[in-house]
Amino acid sequence: MFPKRFDQARPFVTLGIILLAWIFLPLAVKSFSRATFFEIQAPLTVADSFVRDLQTFWANRLHSKDELLKAGQQVAGLIARYEYANQTNSYLEAEILRLENLLKIPSMPDFRFEPARVARRDFSGWWQRMIIRKGSNYGITVGAPVVFAGGVVGRITEVHRYTSVVDLITSPTLRLAATVAGDTRPISYQGGLNNSFASPRGTVDFVPLDVYATPSASKHLVTSGLGGVFPPGLTIGEITNLEPSADGLFKSGEVQLDQRLGTLTEVTVLIPLNPEE
Amino acid sequence: MRRYDPRWLIVTSANLLLWWLTGLANHYVADYAVFFYLGGLLITYAALRLDPKQGLIATLLTGLMVDALEPVPFGTSLVLFSLVHLTVLYGRQRFPREGAVFGIVVALLANLFLFIALSFLLVGAGPRPASAWLRIFGDLLFSQLAIFVVAPWFLALQDRAMELAEIHPETGRPVAR
Repeated sequence: MFPKRFDQARPFVTLGIILLAWIFLPLAVKSFSRATFFEIQAPLTVADSFVRDLQTFWANRLHSKDELLKAGQQVAGLIARYEYANQTNSYLEAEILRLENLLKIPSMPDFRFEPARVARRDFSGWWQRMIIRKGSNYGITVGAPVVFAGGVVGRITEVHRYTSVVDLITSPTLRLAATVAGDTRPISYQGGLNNSFASPRGTVDFVPLDVYATPSASKHLVTSGLGGVFPPGLTIGEITNLEPSADGLFKSGEVQLDQRLGTLTEVTVLIPLNPEE
Repeated sequence: MRRYDPRWLIVTSANLLLWWLTGLANHYVADYAVFFYLGGLLITYAALRLDPKQGLIATLLTGLMVDALEPVPFGTSLVLFSLVHLTVLYGRQRFPREGAVFGIVVALLANLFLFIALSFLLVGAGPRPASAWLRIFGDLLFSQLAIFVVAPWFLALQDRAMELAEIHPETGRPVAR
């Protein structure tokens, strides 16, 4: 039987033992535990997204034939536009290849497009992430860029067997090299301004002094291609204001991001075809 | 023959259910830039009603479960949950811990501590910490409101699960329904 004084302190002795045990636990065991606990919960996370898909399917079944015919006409118009864009794209790709060979410059990174459904959105003041319904079973790799019709969504940070975690461009943990459209000078972009009931915003730093932006005359911000993760020219957002930084050498400002980032249901993962070893 | 004691499993499963429901709610409110964190509620029943060993097992497993899904160093929630759990355990004999109102108060205070601790650990990553605190304060407010609403149901759910398993939460002895 322990004396009463020890009995009172027992919870804190237990806490000390837990802390010590955790500190000295090998990293491999921790990594294995994390993966195991994630995979245990993954079916739950994915199940509700399948149920949502089923709901959408049955909701779409309720549409009338007239509505479907109208939608079919719109899709036919879109297909015609995309076919034309595809032809132009093929011609431009051939031109890029010709110039690369002529000028002996290294070729642009090539990607395989992997569409994936969004299973879970997790947007807090601490992080901004989403879980998608494809993982290593579809060859998704850590660091792969994720895009949607409006531009950059984020970057893959964790890959599990059937799911992957995407760190969004709205997240304070994501930084990337960007440029103002039509300019080649790199600037630094970071997410993280996400006030409640407001559109997501990010920040830019190291903007050259001769670049100006106001809410009425915003500047289009795109990926620079530097760093080799994101291909160049993908939309990030609009720079809405710029002010000189504290050192006076550059400007800093805010970027208005796409409002649709909060409601995405489908994204595309760009998987590098020739990843650097 | 020794009877299997499922109390830790009942509480961990209930916690898993709550965590899943919270994730689901967060999915739907993501567009409004609102976030619910109910970590404090995951500890309350285990710390107040279960015996120390069973309660600690449930809390540790819940901590690992939460850590696996969150982008924090693995073990952060485990340590924070254990700290709160053991602090409540230390003082629980002095309070009317069977009451639902006391359970809600403990859940609110535990959640407040966990939320602030996590914020101090994570807010440094952002480009404008002052702006981040504004959002964090908003999330904290919504989380506390959510706990106020959900806690009575969740504590009753765990009580009911123990009743269905015909087991006393603290002693582990069989009880007649």
